[in-house]
Amino acid sequence: MDRLHRVLRALLRGALVEHGANAPSLVDIVVETGAEPRIWAEFANGYRASAPLRPDDCFAFCDAHAAWNLATLRSALRQEALQVYLVMRREHQLDRVRNQRTWVSEQMRRLGRGIAHSLRARRTHLIEDPNVGWFLDDRTSAAHQRGIRLLKENLSPAQLEQYERHAFFEVSGSTTGRRYRIRYGRSMNIDQLDKTGRRVCGWCFFPKGNLVAGDVMLAQKLAIELFEADALKSANKIW
Amino acid sequence: MSVQIVMDRSGDTRHEFDAVDANAVALAESRFNELTGKGFRAVALGRDGGGSDRVVSRFDPNVEETLFIPQLQGG
Repeated sequence: MDRLHRVLRALLRGALVEHGANAPSLVDIVVETGAEPRIWAEFANGYRASAPLRPDDCFAFCDAHAAWNLATLRSALRQEALQVYLVMRREHQLDRVRNQRTWVSEQMRRLGRGIAHSLRARRTHLIEDPNVGWFLDDRTSAAHQRGIRLLKENLSPAQLEQYERHAFFEVSGSTTGRRYRIRYGRSMNIDQLDKTGRRVCGWCFFPKGNLVAGDVMLAQKLAIELFEADALKSANKIW
Repeated sequence: MSVQIVMDRSGDTRHEFDAVDANAVALAESRFNELTGKGFRAVALGRDGGGSDRVVSRFDPNVEETLFIPQLQGG
């Protein structure tokens, strides 16, 4: 590519970059003579751009187009610029579409990664408990398992067997001798039973601090077995 | 070795201390008082599943395992 072509392309690119999708049509190419000759590109919306023009820049072009006077040079430059601009506009539009596609696909990729990440994060909170199967725990699995271990260490053999088989265990109230069933959970998980084992009502109390299920169930067990009356004072009864 | 087990969001936090070490016992007593002052219930665990568990209101360095249960609330 000769130097004049490079100058022309630089002028035309300026219009494309400046106006984006609404790139104006090229109207004319003007060669300004004088002490410091310049080449001007004029567009339909009034946008104009110019660059210095040295005689050396023109020689190859003039030779190729047999343009040895100003009028012929201007006409040849105009024809050349129109063709080059046509190609550049087409390429510019293709680039824009390509970039839009790239942007969309980039956003989709990020969205996909975000979803995958959030699913991965949740996967670590999926806990497998032999009694209740897989469930989503809102605490870390390590905390959950520590809580369950502490609970199991402090259940009586009969309670542990019940818990392992049914995900609940029964306790006796220290004051009233009533039977209660503590089901796996962190709230609304205590049933008061009659002598035949049927549910009479429910009780809801738990320790403060958003504890894991194992800790909550152990606290409920100890509270009923050791200070039933106090525990029920703070509890809500559920029919 | 004795241990104080405090229920918390990580499951539990365990503080072990040697009952013959006066400094460790003093620290454990201070922890006991601080927690019970905040409303925690201290339960001496019997490790037999409930038969010998008991609520303790005063620090006893001879209790092997003390579990601290946060204050209860209705749901």
